[in-house]
Amino acid sequence: MLFLLLAAVALSVAALLFRDTGLPSPAVRVTRDGVLLEEIDLSQLDQPRTLTLEDERGSNTLQVERGRVRVSAADCPDQVCVNQGWISDGAVPIVCLPHRLMVEIVGGGGELDGGAG
Amino acid sequence: MAGPAKGAGRITRLALLTAIALTIFMAEAQIPALTAVPGVKLGLANIVTVYAVFALGPGDALLVLSGRVFLGAVFSGQMMTLIYSAAGGLLSWCILCLLQKLFTREQIWLVSPAAAIFHNMGQLLAAAAVLRSWAVMAYLPYLVIAAVLAGLFTGVAAQGLLRRLERLGK
Repeated sequence: MLFLLLAAVALSVAALLFRDTGLPSPAVRVTRDGVLLEEIDLSQLDQPRTLTLEDERGSNTLQVERGRVRVSAADCPDQVCVNQGWISDGAVPIVCLPHRLMVEIVGGGGELDGGAG
Repeated sequence: MAGPAKGAGRITRLALLTAIALTIFMAEAQIPALTAVPGVKLGLANIVTVYAVFALGPGDALLVLSGRVFLGAVFSGQMMTLIYSAAGGLLSWCILCLLQKLFTREQIWLVSPAAAIFHNMGQLLAAAAVLRSWAVMAYLPYLVIAAVLAGLFTGVAAQGLLRRLERLGK
């Protein structure tokens, strides 16, 4: 049992250290319920963009800059997505579970070293 | 608290445990998030769940767990979180019941982290189902590490609790 637990931790640490977060041409992809809402090319972005995504569950405001994205405001009770701050690589997506919204960075390059781990 | 109880005694004990778990849950909800990774928390209310599985058995433990999960969602005003808590709670309860048969009461500190891992996996699976995307699995390594640390803590606490309460009961 102890061995299994240690193995699970070791695997997790290895997954975090060795995962490939580099993306050839990073783009922000926003989905709700698995349906694509927006896709913005991060390397072609000249000036910061703000977009608000609303539906009957609530609204999230996204701030997109060159190479990074964050949820700057949301009317959900837990504010988990807002507190997560900026993401700039494909390591983990931003997720707003109450609004079933997911913001991820896909497709991107080796020059975006995600500082894994 | 040790030993079998029937009728009013059993109901009183279950109600007391549910109230304790709910209080711990609500108190912990006031603590700001420890990390930027969503879902990482100590899960102190699970001390009661682990204790209940080992002291009262699977059935009564499930009653306490489901009571706490439902009331926790009502009291915190976040009914949306009910799916995730229920998925995590049920999966970890299954693992707890299984491991409770294989391990002694001196090994609760080992059983609890394993249950915690499955708790977090249950939550992630629920999130993947809701979002209809496997991308959330990127959180799994963080959540496994966090689960082992938090599970060790709650396991040691539950083991100490069980030992002391049994001594009281003698």
